[in-house]
Amino acid sequence: MKFSEKQIKLILLMLSAIVVFLIPVFIKNQGYIQIFIVVMFFMYIATAWNFVGGFAGVLPLGNAAFIAIGAYTSTILFVQYGISPWVGMLAGGIISAIIGIIIGLPTFKLRGAYFALATIAFGEGIKVLFQNIDKIGSVNVGGARGILISYSGDSFANFQWVSRIPYYYIILVMLIILLAITVFLMNSKMGYYLIAGGEDPEAAASLGVNVAKYKLIAMALSAFFTAIAGTFYAQWILYILPKSVGSIDLSFEIAFIAIIGGRGTIIGPILGALLLKPLGELTRTYLGGALPGLHLFILGLILVLVMIYQPRGIQEVLTKIFNRFVKKMVTIKRS
Amino acid sequence: MGSAILNGILMGSIYGLTAVGLTLIFGVLKVINFAQGAFLMSGLFATYWFVKFTGTNPYLALVVVVPFTYFMGYYIQKFLIKPVFESEKDVREPIGVIIVTTGIWYMLDNLALMLFGAQYRTINVPSVSKAISIFGLYAPLSKIIGFFISITVSGLLFWFLKYSKMGKAIRATSQDREAASLMGINQYKIYNVTFGIGTAICGIAGAVLLPFYYVYPTVGMHLDIMDFVIVVLGGLGSIPGALVGGLIIGLIESVGSQFIAYSWTIEVIYIIFLIILFVKPSGLFGVKGEF
Repeated sequence: MKFSEKQIKLILLMLSAIVVFLIPVFIKNQGYIQIFIVVMFFMYIATAWNFVGGFAGVLPLGNAAFIAIGAYTSTILFVQYGISPWVGMLAGGIISAIIGIIIGLPTFKLRGAYFALATIAFGEGIKVLFQNIDKIGSVNVGGARGILISYSGDSFANFQWVSRIPYYYIILVMLIILLAITVFLMNSKMGYYLIAGGEDPEAAASLGVNVAKYKLIAMALSAFFTAIAGTFYAQWILYILPKSVGSIDLSFEIAFIAIIGGRGTIIGPILGALLLKPLGELTRTYLGGALPGLHLFILGLILVLVMIYQPRGIQEVLTKIFNRFVKKMVTIKRS
Repeated sequence: MGSAILNGILMGSIYGLTAVGLTLIFGVLKVINFAQGAFLMSGLFATYWFVKFTGTNPYLALVVVVPFTYFMGYYIQKFLIKPVFESEKDVREPIGVIIVTTGIWYMLDNLALMLFGAQYRTINVPSVSKAISIFGLYAPLSKIIGFFISITVSGLLFWFLKYSKMGKAIRATSQDREAASLMGINQYKIYNVTFGIGTAICGIAGAVLLPFYYVYPTVGMHLDIMDFVIVVLGGLGSIPGALVGGLIIGLIESVGSQFIAYSWTIEVIYIIFLIILFVKPSGLFGVKGEF
């Protein structure tokens, strides 16, 4: 039997998908499942970041604001009005997309560092806003204390389970949907326009591409999907506070993961989260007591090294190795 | 109220000083140094340990802190930032350099955390912590000394850039790096020196702040964001702009706190920052053009 390169890649993709789907069947330890959820959560938000930070060619450093908006919208709706978090998820996504467009209109006029600074100020501004507001009318926002979601029994409508396994499958499905959308987008006209506008706005505009429009669409999509992750986070941890869902550290981490993996590529955020999150969790678990901050030091170090030696991220090397491996498989089958 | 204004001016001048370092680096390298707050933290810690070990005055620490932070900046630019800078020379939006400085920020902050722990540290310098009366308004002597050091350092820097040979070379490089290279100026050497001066200014600010401030590993974060606001307000690349921006922010912070909670003052500063970015990104003293 002979396989072409494309077929082998497809088979490998299917195999890895099956493995990922079967992980909870074989691994019963909830602690490990939790780490898988963390990794996939960061894959997801870094992929959503990539719409703007990768394809549109700017550096957003305030994406945690969208996570906060999503988390707060669904949580307030659920805790105070009993509206299912699934509905709140959609509501948070839409609100976040609108805010993304409002903030994107003026910020996309700015270049390089100015764009990054504006997004930092936006992100911190949203966080401080949530910290400062205790109540709006009768709506309890919780201020700096945050909001606790009380557990009311396993239920799909309430988006709550004691077991970690449902969360595993939900974030997995969310990730697959987002990746499918990314692949579809990048092979569409919009994707090409977006990348062209990110690389050289003037040249793209002179060829008739409405750069601003496509950047705004990218921003709206990024904000929408990031906010959905915010709702997932709220229901998964059952406790949100401005410092956890809106912090500048989270904003930076999202960007770092995508950049180290390879921004502007589909596989980049996946590889970035796969490398950094387990590394971070392990160093924190085993060395965190003796050396707090070691995992963040390593993160900074990897970031600097990657920027010096692999500015396109680790995906470049890994893709090369993978392609060589696939080629070898083709020749083996033939002989 | 009068005291709030006085304290705002004094504190603002020190904010301005840290922003001067940031704006100098931007003016020459066209790079925003996200690690600026981490360098300030390094300056604070260097001063702290100098005072702890020698039992002397924090201002005497400048003798050690200034060369320490200068060479730190010099070599970080030379070995970590320059390679990225070179590979991005022709890129229109040099984002890579911002990312590298962010990585350096994480490394420095967490190195400090591993070495010194997360606790807040202070030093007690009784000779300068007493309040002094100026026209009937009271302010601690340490802040007044800080004010004069800030103004003096900024003035010296201005003079250095204007009249010294190195200063002229720095200005030439900032105006046109290619032309400066053709005139025999080693632009990367200039970048190292500029970065070193920018970080040494942070060292000075650290020594000045310590007598009335805390030091802990992430102390730079708050000042970092404040610095970004100040330099954009004053106009990126403008040294007088940084000082004026510092004074304005210092005043908003201290006078604003008289009327609203401090956490809301911060929100006001962010909003002002965004408005400036959207309406007049060149700031008060900046040159119109690339932004």
